[in-house]
Amino acid sequence: MNVDIQSLGTFNQLAHEGAEQATQSMGQMTGIDAVVDVTKITLLDRADVGEELAGRDFVGVQFSFDGVLEGDTVLAFDVDSAGTITEEMMPGSSDDEAMARSGIEEIGNIMMSGFIDGWADYVGATIDHSPPEYIEESGGDVLPDAPENGDHQQVFVFKSEIEWIDESVNFYIYMLPEYDSLTEMMVEHVDTDGDAIPIDKLQTFNEMTTSGTQKAADNVEMMTGIPTESEVTQISFAPIEDVPKQIGTDTFVGTVVEFTGTPSGYLMVLFDEVSAINVAEAMMPIEMDSDELTDQHKAAIEELGNIMTSGFVDGWANVLQTSVEHTPPRVVHDMGRAIMDPLAAQVGQYQEHAFIIDSQMQTDDIEFQAEIHALPNEKELRAALNDLDVERATETGADVEQIFK
Amino acid sequence: MPDVLIADDSEFMRNLLREILEEDHEIVGEVENGVEAVEVFKEEGPDLVMMDIVMPIRDGIEATDEIKSSNPDANVIMCTSVGQEEKMKEAVKAGADGYITKPFQKPSVMEAIEDVVPS
Repeated sequence: MNVDIQSLGTFNQLAHEGAEQATQSMGQMTGIDAVVDVTKITLLDRADVGEELAGRDFVGVQFSFDGVLEGDTVLAFDVDSAGTITEEMMPGSSDDEAMARSGIEEIGNIMMSGFIDGWADYVGATIDHSPPEYIEESGGDVLPDAPENGDHQQVFVFKSEIEWIDESVNFYIYMLPEYDSLTEMMVEHVDTDGDAIPIDKLQTFNEMTTSGTQKAADNVEMMTGIPTESEVTQISFAPIEDVPKQIGTDTFVGTVVEFTGTPSGYLMVLFDEVSAINVAEAMMPIEMDSDELTDQHKAAIEELGNIMTSGFVDGWANVLQTSVEHTPPRVVHDMGRAIMDPLAAQVGQYQEHAFIIDSQMQTDDIEFQAEIHALPNEKELRAALNDLDVERATETGADVEQIFK
Repeated sequence: MPDVLIADDSEFMRNLLREILEEDHEIVGEVENGVEAVEVFKEEGPDLVMMDIVMPIRDGIEATDEIKSSNPDANVIMCTSVGQEEKMKEAVKAGADGYITKPFQKPSVMEAIEDVVPS
């Protein structure tokens, strides 16, 4: 079962336009000025859906939809911003719980109708949706259960992040389509065979990447002595200009490498500043306790980034029976978007959309968190997927003793 | 006490290897790319080279190839984060005598050295 890049781009655009339509409706009702920041399609393990919402309380409106496309969708606001929105719609309503709840349901209803209608128009068929269901939940519990996908654990999720201008508040639209109905729709709308991607191999590649993230986490644990677990691994598809926005505006310390082979691209290992200090000091043979990042910390991060990069990409090379070369790591210390901007610009010379591979790892006691982001050349990733022998997907390791016997 | 040349572009890793090795080995040089590795090898003629693969200017496999071409009896252990089978085969082809993947601990380094340069 194949899907072409052009269709993925079209589907991403549909979700983006739907989110813009929903945001515009909200603006008309409340006067709130907001923009859709990022829309992306993500393939990830169903247990990891909504992981990025952890630790926050949300008010939301859920719908289920059916027709040519089946699934669930949700509009989620931070609790505080929900109160502001209902107050803007109807002054005084935020003090009246029932009225506030009704206001959120209605704004959700209007916004999400706009979101879904674009999909129905695109396929030239009807997509019906249920009445809105009001929810108050913490973290990823605000989302509906991810749909089942046969024996596979991975699901497609469409996510739009909407930024409320002048306020440090974001809200989210998630769409979780049933896997089969989405992939059938994708297959029906394949425009060209030349740039088709086999979906099952995309899933396999994602599984290989999960294994690579665990290897990178194992390497961190071995170098620092801190038990480290891989958390989320996902592969997303988004317009190239939206890629830097996904890294955010926080400051990171880490490494960037360019890798060549099949595929080529860029790979970043990023730590927030506190994590970078903690992990670097855990690697040092002498005890240090610094609040600031020194050259010694950066030297340790450089080597750790190098080893994590290898742990991450070696599995791809071994499964594909090829070699993936990478440059020596370059240490970066900057705002996330500023680190990603020039890399996205490089990749953007050859493609309009990009696959972004994102992984996270952390420790039990939050001594540090790390993110790995890979930005492969889309055509070469496609070639790699075409060459991928699914039967070899678990052959990520290499037997050095056998080779050097 | 065997003489060892350490070739790695990471200062952190050179320090780590020196700490592991200096008790039982004479460190005759520390270099940060493949060109310097070949030069210092020819100057010092160490018993063993601990060679990283991913280095600027010239990588460790090319440097190993040149060292082994100039002196087939040279002992070179690749000491790298790269765990790719194809890369290991390239290292064998270049003449590498052993291969350690980072991160490593002292026992695995000493074991690899004992295999290549028995005490």
